[in-house]
This record gives sequence, structure tokens and C-alpha cells, in this order.
Amino acid sequence: MLEIIKPGLETSIQDYPGRIGYWNQGFPPSGAMDNWSFRLANLLVGNDVGAPGLEAQYMGPTIKFGADAVIALTGADMMSKLDGEAVPNWESIPVKAGQTLVMGPAIKGARGYLAVAGGIDAPHWLGSASTFHKASVGGLDGHAIQAGQALPVKTGIGGTPGRRVKEANRPELSTTKEWIVEAVRGPNDDWIDEAAHKQFADTKWKLSARSDRTGYRLEGPDWTFTEKATNKLPENGDFPSNILDQGYPLGAINLGGQTPIILVNDGPSMGGFICPYTVPSVGFWKLGQAKPNEHLVFDIVSVDEAQSRRRAMDAQCSENSLENA
Amino acid sequence: MIYDEPKFLPGGDRYVLVEFGNEMNLELNFTAQGLATKIEEQKTKGIVETAPCFASMLVHYEPNDISFDDVVKELKALIADLGPTDNIELSSRIFYFETLYLDPWTKECIDDYSAKITEKEYDPDFVARINGLEDRHQLVRVHSGTEYWVASLGFWPGLPFLQPLDPRSKITAPKYNPPRTWTPQGAIGMGGSASSIYPVQTPGGYQLFGRTPVPIWDTEKRFDAFGGEIVLFRPGDRLKYVPCTLEEYEHTEARIKDGTYVYNMVDYQKFSVRNYKSWVKTINADDRF
Repeated sequence: MLEIIKPGLETSIQDYPGRIGYWNQGFPPSGAMDNWSFRLANLLVGNDVGAPGLEAQYMGPTIKFGADAVIALTGADMMSKLDGEAVPNWESIPVKAGQTLVMGPAIKGARGYLAVAGGIDAPHWLGSASTFHKASVGGLDGHAIQAGQALPVKTGIGGTPGRRVKEANRPELSTTKEWIVEAVRGPNDDWIDEAAHKQFADTKWKLSARSDRTGYRLEGPDWTFTEKATNKLPENGDFPSNILDQGYPLGAINLGGQTPIILVNDGPSMGGFICPYTVPSVGFWKLGQAKPNEHLVFDIVSVDEAQSRRRAMDAQCSENSLENA
Repeated sequence: MIYDEPKFLPGGDRYVLVEFGNEMNLELNFTAQGLATKIEEQKTKGIVETAPCFASMLVHYEPNDISFDDVVKELKALIADLGPTDNIELSSRIFYFETLYLDPWTKECIDDYSAKITEKEYDPDFVARINGLEDRHQLVRVHSGTEYWVASLGFWPGLPFLQPLDPRSKITAPKYNPPRTWTPQGAIGMGGSASSIYPVQTPGGYQLFGRTPVPIWDTEKRFDAFGGEIVLFRPGDRLKYVPCTLEEYEHTEARIKDGTYVYNMVDYQKFSVRNYKSWVKTINADDRF
């Protein structure tokens, strides 16, 4: 049992790959945003890569352990301390009943992950424990964790302390406040003109403070359009970036008026704006670790290249990436 | 227009958007839903899920199981197999919802918006006026005169995008600008040519003119009609609003509260695109109710 002393800034139960198969009912997958770090945390403690754990954003929680456990911290460096002693990221560590883990502010990256051997025992909603708090679905009670809550832990997996992720197999968190994120053209790339394509690739887009697990708003120059956007049937809507409502790919760079919004894990399934580019799976961990006011630069890749990079990332999320500390 | 050949547009490393056309035409949605049904029946390897919309359908695939090119090839074969749209028949449940038109709760919401955000005409009067209807009472007759087709669900989980099946009930309305900060749960309204019901209290932009007590979202899964899901509707369902009095509204509301409410739903019909289209040909859209 994990007793929540302080919840941190929106710490939530998430799993991987999340709530899949309900897009046509309007349910997003939710799930861990940096799923590379998340999967490694689970592997470190001997869980399946997808087992429910905690995602802490910007400011981590304070947790008292009700029983002995093996845990692992990955993702953002939150200067975590166990009973006042610094604990390393990327390593499985033993915890005694009664000890307190303090996860602090994220000094590198934005989201820290905590896996506990056995996984958090949260009910499944539509096949997943992931919290989608906008609709009060998932987690323990549909919301981010609260002070005073007790999170049950599944028994049966003891976990092995002293396992570590090899240096080369960890996602490399940017220290320059700039992230290079993959983007694939489409589905609506022929609605913006060549100048807009060039500008998209050349711009350092600022991640707005008005960003959350639903969407990442980007600040940058205005967009220019092709005839398709300006000369169309009225049912497509009034703005150049309006289109007849369509399904949105997860990761779509959705152009609401002139503001691009990357639709991430808790995003809407459909709507009436064009999506000239889409961030593929391999780019998501970087979105998960980028903080507001940092910058994104897009690396335009083909569908094939995006798929092969994803395979390379998935290969990192395996036992082969672990060693004895 | 309806394209001669659908377009297959990539969405990152795991989605294809199949676009059948670029106009608001129910026929395109029938095609999308026909294709979605076919994919589900055939259990095409590597296709994880589909989400049909008005004129397109999003396909989510697993790139480790199937390549983009092969997904497109499979989809083309399935579309060819569907044949002409007229041949499509879709399983379609119909629901009857008690509805209080011109209700006090959406009025309060509109008044609140007018007072705090920007002054606007009462939505039912506004929608009636811009559609050339006599008054708000004709709007009620026109809006409640048709079965609605659940073209898709989205934006918010369980929120249905509804299209009138009867051409005599076609109306349009612009969305609020700026949007509302709150809308009562169960509010009924429209934006563009789509009508909808707010599953829970949320912000919103549709013009409002009624409210139903019947839940379309239930995390407690109290009613059998949901089939174990949290969300009531599926694409291809139909809905008829049944105007009721405040007393009837409150009666239904009480039965929902105590869990004894029985959904008025019929589930044995197939929706035939051919039959529908030949019926539409006999209708004069100007004969408003």
C-alpha cells in the first residue's frame, strides 16, 4: 500500500498502452506520456511493461510505504529522496515499510515515473487503469491522486533490487530547453502552402503554458494556406483551417485557427480543424518530457522512417537494456 | 463532392485517414460505417480500431503487424467488396428520448452567457429566424420531426454527432463565439448541421433549445441499454426526440435517479441505404413540419 502524504502537481495512475479500442466512442487512450521511461520503470521491478504505475508532472508526490517493496524511478529527475537519502533514477531499489519517498520538482525533464513491484492495483475501466480525469474515468476514482489516499499494490511479484538501465538505453533528456520531435506529413498537408511547410520545419515552436495531457499548444508564426483551405464548401467552416469534422490521429498537429495544438494522450478523437502534420509514436516521450516555455523543433520524417524509429525505441524497452548495478 | 476513389492519407506511424469526399452527405457516412462493419467482421490483421466520421474514417493500425501500403491495399479491397453504397445495410438501434423543448435550464444557461460573456438572442428564436421558420414553436416541430442518425461519436466521450434523416428537418446554426463556459448535462442543441446532446456538464458552443433527462453517459453502468459500456450510443444508432411536458420530464428524471428507468429502445432493424434513398426522393424538403 502506498499512502499519499502529498499528491504533487497532478500525479496520476497510468498504464501502457492505455485505453485502446474506444476511439469511436470518443475515448482517448490516456496512458503514460513518456512511455519509454514508463516501460523501463516496470521492467526494473519485474513487472510487465504496461503495469499501472504513477506519472508525476513538474512536482512529484510524497509517499509513505505501508509494506516492504521494490520500486524504480525513471523519466524526469525529481531529486527524489527516501527518508532523506538521495535515490538514483533508472535503478530498482528496496524500500522498507514505514519509509517515505519524497519526489521533488523536476529539474531535468517534466514527468517522473514510479513503478512498484506488482504494479498499482487499480480497477480497469474499458481495459485500462489509466486516469482520464477530464471525464472522471480510470485511476482509483477517476481523478489524479489525493493526499490521504492509499494506493493498493498487487502482490505476487517481489521484484529484484539492484537492477539498472544501461546508460545507452535510457532516453536522453534534453538539457538545452530544446527538443527535436519527429513529425510526419499528413493527413491534411495539402491545405497549407509550401511556405507554411518550410516555416513549420524552420521554426523553433514555443510550448505554451496552456498545455496539458489533452493538447500541447505551440506559439510561433502564422500559417498560410492553399486554395483548398480558402475556397471550399460552406459546411467546412469559416476559417481556412476549418474542415468537415474528421477523426484525429493521436499526435496530430491540429490547427485551431492559427494556433497549432498537438493532440496528446487525453486528446479529442475528432473535430473540425485540419491536421497538416502528425507526431508519430517515437516522438511522444519527448513531448512528455518537454516543459512549458521550452522549444520544439520538428524533424520531418517519412511514415517508414517513423515506424523504424519506433521499432528501435521499442527494442530499448526490453530486459536487454538492464544490467546489475 | 464524392471522390471517385477514396483518398488514403497518412497520420503519423499508425493511422490512415480514409477520405470518401469533402461534403456533408450522409451517403459518405454510410460508406464509412459500412467499411467499419466490414473491418470488424473480417478482423483484418493489424487493424486495431476504426472511427467513422461524416465523410471520412480514421483507421488505427499496428505497424509491427502490417505496413502502411498493405493497410491501404486491404482497405481498397474491402471498399471494392462493399459495392455500391445502395447495397449497404447497417444494424441500427432506435432510441426514443423524452425531451423538454424550450426548457428552463438551457434558458438559464443562455441568460447567464448573455449576462456575463456577450449579449445574444435567445437561441431557439435565433435558430428559428436564421432558418426562415415562423417561431421557436415551429423550430420544436421541425427539430423533433425526424429520426437522427448517429454519424459518429467524439470530441467528448459519448457525445453523438447527429444528422437528421428527414430532409424536412434540415436546419443549420453557427456555433457560439466565444464558446460557453458551461452547458447543463443533457442539453440538446446544434452547430453547423449537426445536432447533439451534452453527455455531462461541459463547456460548449452549440445553440441550445431543449434538454433530455435520459443519460447517454453512465460511469456506474446502471442501465442494461448501455450493454456494459459507459457510453450509450454506437455509430449507426438512431434517435428520436419525443417532446414532453415538465411533469413527464420530472417523472422520467425520478425513475432515472432510483434506477427503475427503462430505455425506450428498439433493436431488430437494419438500415437499408437503398430504401432510405428511395424514400428521400419522395420528400419535399420545403414541406416543413
